[in-house]
Amino acid sequence: MESSALARFEAVVLPHLDAAYTLARYLTRNAQDAEDIVQDACLRALKYFEGFRGEEGTSARAWLLTIVRNTAYSARGHRRGEAATEFDETLHSDAIADEHPEAALLRTAAKESLGRAIDRLAPEFREVIVLRELEGLSYKEISDVTGVPVGTVMSRLSRARARLQEALT
Amino acid sequence: MSPHSSYEAQLDAYLDGELAAGDARELETHLAQCPDCTRFRDRRLELRAAIVTGAPTFEAPPALRERVRAAGREAARGARTPRHFAIRNLWRPLALAASLAVVALGSWTLARQRAAVDALADDVLASHVRSLMPGHLTDVPSSDQHTVKPWFNGRLDFSPPVYDFAGRGYPLLGGRIDYVGGQPVAALVYGRRQHMINVFLWPAARGSAGGPATRTRQGYHELHWTTGDYTYWVVSDLGLAELQEFAQLLRQADSTAAVPSPR
Repeated sequence: MESSALARFEAVVLPHLDAAYTLARYLTRNAQDAEDIVQDACLRALKYFEGFRGEEGTSARAWLLTIVRNTAYSARGHRRGEAATEFDETLHSDAIADEHPEAALLRTAAKESLGRAIDRLAPEFREVIVLRELEGLSYKEISDVTGVPVGTVMSRLSRARARLQEALT
Repeated sequence: MSPHSSYEAQLDAYLDGELAAGDARELETHLAQCPDCTRFRDRRLELRAAIVTGAPTFEAPPALRERVRAAGREAARGARTPRHFAIRNLWRPLALAASLAVVALGSWTLARQRAAVDALADDVLASHVRSLMPGHLTDVPSSDQHTVKPWFNGRLDFSPPVYDFAGRGYPLLGGRIDYVGGQPVAALVYGRRQHMINVFLWPAARGSAGGPATRTRQGYHELHWTTGDYTYWVVSDLGLAELQEFAQLLRQADSTAAVPSPR
């Protein structure tokens, strides 16, 4: 990899690092795991970067998120015990642990419950909600990232929203 | 459950701007005569607004960002990709020290400025999301710049520049008055395929020219800059590259249209 390629890598990958980390946080529901996943994903991205040309229609964001998602799922495959998708109270306690004053708790209550509702979704629903609502990908891009047809993306999103609505009311 | 559950996924796709034009028209006809589906749509709009404003997004920790950069540099130097971050444990304290120093130096002067810009960015994003709800997009729906520009006369104390970039794939859709940062501002709406772009602008404070700066929040990109005359905020869920192209068109049009103003 030459220095021009390095500049291109930084220009393509670094702007989407927050997006990558957010997806990893929702997929792993844990800050440290998310950091490891993004780091591994970026290493893979480096390796395959020569193959990424950034042609018209290939969004760098979708490309990086695809690698993050695959990295997260293969990591989960390695650690069988963590494949369970039930919400684990201890996983999210770090988000509220440092914010003790009641005012802060009240202020973050809405965020907390929405974040939790998303965390409780099954992985195939959780990922489409995050990719659409938080990462702003099109159905086609979500289809590319998750490897399922656009029609499936559409029905999963709709079912995911129905579940969120149930959870929040 | 709605009696028209077959419409549910379609309605979601419609609100996502992902339904083909023919299907969208059919759905709008159905919505006009079905209170159940209309209620369903309104609840979905509430949910979407709640997610955009309420679901947390996360910033990559500075140490992680630094490790990724380091890996890139390593790969560039060694011409081979490291299999693992052998230097990871070394980087942690270094990156931590570096980021602490940066924080200490920068946060003092920047914090207050940043808080103001952050509040503005939130305001702009909220206005953008609100404008996407049915019936809120434009007060003057028109693709004709010579209809949109005069519409602002008497409604604002400035006359915003209005362009049409239909030839470049960003057609003008209309304009409206919006309220951002505690003042009425001009909002111009442009389209790109299924995506909406809101351009907010108002007279700039003297000598504040700068930008453009980019922010990404909840999947929306925001670009903002200030010319000699106006402060601009451009927001959309469009890909960043295209939005930057659009901003470039706008800035070019502005600079070629700028006649020396007497003020």
